[in-house]
Amino acid sequence: MAKSKTIPLGAPWGPLVPEGGLRRGSTVVVQAAAGHGGLSVALSLLSEASARGHWVGVVGIEDPGVVAIADLGIDLRRVLFVPRPRGAWAESAADLLDGVDLLIVRAPSRASHGAARRLMDRVRERGTVLIVVTEPSAPWPLPADLSFVVTESKWEATSRLVARTLTVRVGGRGSAARAGEHVVRLPDEQGRAAS
Amino acid sequence: MERLLALWVPEYAEEKADGASLRTMAALLDALVSVCPFVEPIRLGLLTLPLRGPSRFFGGDEAVFEVVRATVHDVAGVTPQLGVAEGLFCADLAARQGVVVPAGEGPAFRRAQSIEVLGRRDLMTTCRRLGIHTVGAFADLPPARVAERFSAPVRVLHRVARGDLQEMPGQRDAKLPERLRRSRGEEVHADEQMGFFGQRSAGDDRAQAAAHRLRHRLGVESVLVAEVLGGRTPDDRATLVPWGAPRATSRDQAPWPGRIGAPAPTTSFRQPVAVDVVSETGERLELSARGTLSAVPGAVVLRAGTRHRVRWSAGPWPMVERWWQTPRRRAHLQVLLDTGEAFLLMTEAGRWWLTGVYD
Repeated sequence: MAKSKTIPLGAPWGPLVPEGGLRRGSTVVVQAAAGHGGLSVALSLLSEASARGHWVGVVGIEDPGVVAIADLGIDLRRVLFVPRPRGAWAESAADLLDGVDLLIVRAPSRASHGAARRLMDRVRERGTVLIVVTEPSAPWPLPADLSFVVTESKWEATSRLVARTLTVRVGGRGSAARAGEHVVRLPDEQGRAAS
Repeated sequence: MERLLALWVPEYAEEKADGASLRTMAALLDALVSVCPFVEPIRLGLLTLPLRGPSRFFGGDEAVFEVVRATVHDVAGVTPQLGVAEGLFCADLAARQGVVVPAGEGPAFRRAQSIEVLGRRDLMTTCRRLGIHTVGAFADLPPARVAERFSAPVRVLHRVARGDLQEMPGQRDAKLPERLRRSRGEEVHADEQMGFFGQRSAGDDRAQAAAHRLRHRLGVESVLVAEVLGGRTPDDRATLVPWGAPRATSRDQAPWPGRIGAPAPTTSFRQPVAVDVVSETGERLELSARGTLSAVPGAVVLRAGTRHRVRWSAGPWPMVERWWQTPRRRAHLQVLLDTGEAFLLMTEAGRWWLTGVYD
């Protein structure tokens, strides 16, 4: 695949970020309280790229819900999972960076400044996109190029859970600084992300 | 032999220019999975499901017919013709005639059919000349005589007529399951574990190399890929398997619990976590033989002793799997906690498990 500078981002995120996509070599932080949609947001950032043939890696997500991932439109044939990297999360992430175009990492609660720095440097050098899933109690130790912070999460339910409305603050450095709060449905009735 | 309930929906039996028949089939299949996970698309307009399990669950054949009719009506806006018989050949005919063939009377039903149902003009003409008008009379011809007179395809039909084979060649549209998957936008093949679409791209090679390095670093169980086994509903058979491991040949993995309907949990525990579900007054909830709960869920207690109040709950849904073959009673419950988190819980034999989190 020819390398373009950005990796495409599907609805509803595309219009909400500066270049309409994820810049290669950048680090994206997704932050949400436990169980408030952080994982869904992070995974939904992969959908469009995956559908277009990019390989993705998922490190440190211990029990990924494969059905939900497929429902988000991610092509399971091009996903490598490393659910339990044990003590070697940073090394695993670095190894995987060479083989994928996007990488989701859930770092241990105390990711050191040094490990984060090295990983982000490697990401920049390789032209991959790193998506870090964090919780407010254990933030990523360095500023990210782009950030998605879930500030509110609300389920719609009838006789079962139907869909969820997330309020997400999108922000970042430089041109990404046009921060704004956006309301998305994730998952919607089909398990996808929608505006 | 297994009695099949066949659903004949003539309105969607023909290919339509806008693809409506295919879409409706896909929607019917999704909806009927909650009645029976073994519902099978046979060809456009025709689906079957084994009757015995659902009949026990819903309390009789009539109750199943009611549920199926209502489901089809909800989804497709039409009323299906239902038929019951043993084996696909007879079930198909039963549905198109709208009859329920009592258990054990399948052979009589089959024999009474007109020779036309075997669908070959040459066979029909010859048989009529011989004074043979029914499937039964054709079946009574000695195989040797059939072999002398007819071609190989007719010899196969003779075996169908005799009841040695349960379906006619071509009765089932072999490409339909694949088309239904595609219509959902999924192109998942059981034989494409790593995404080699005939040819490998540079990206595929890079990914393979990285996976190889990681496995070397962390061990064979460390790098996983999703494997989607060929099942009736594509999405209920996805499991994680070690990268590069020999592929599973067994198709008897526990199915995704009943496909309560999208959304699915983003965290799905490979080993469910033991929890307690208690009422407002602190008593542990139990599932009755009739599939109801002893009280309204009030709180979920995690093993560490942390207690989360339940703000809303839904279910219990009986677990849709071949539970009638093993005496297990399981059900799922969705709860929304006052922390805002949503859990998928499962109960079996008086115990509760956290099986998924909607993160």
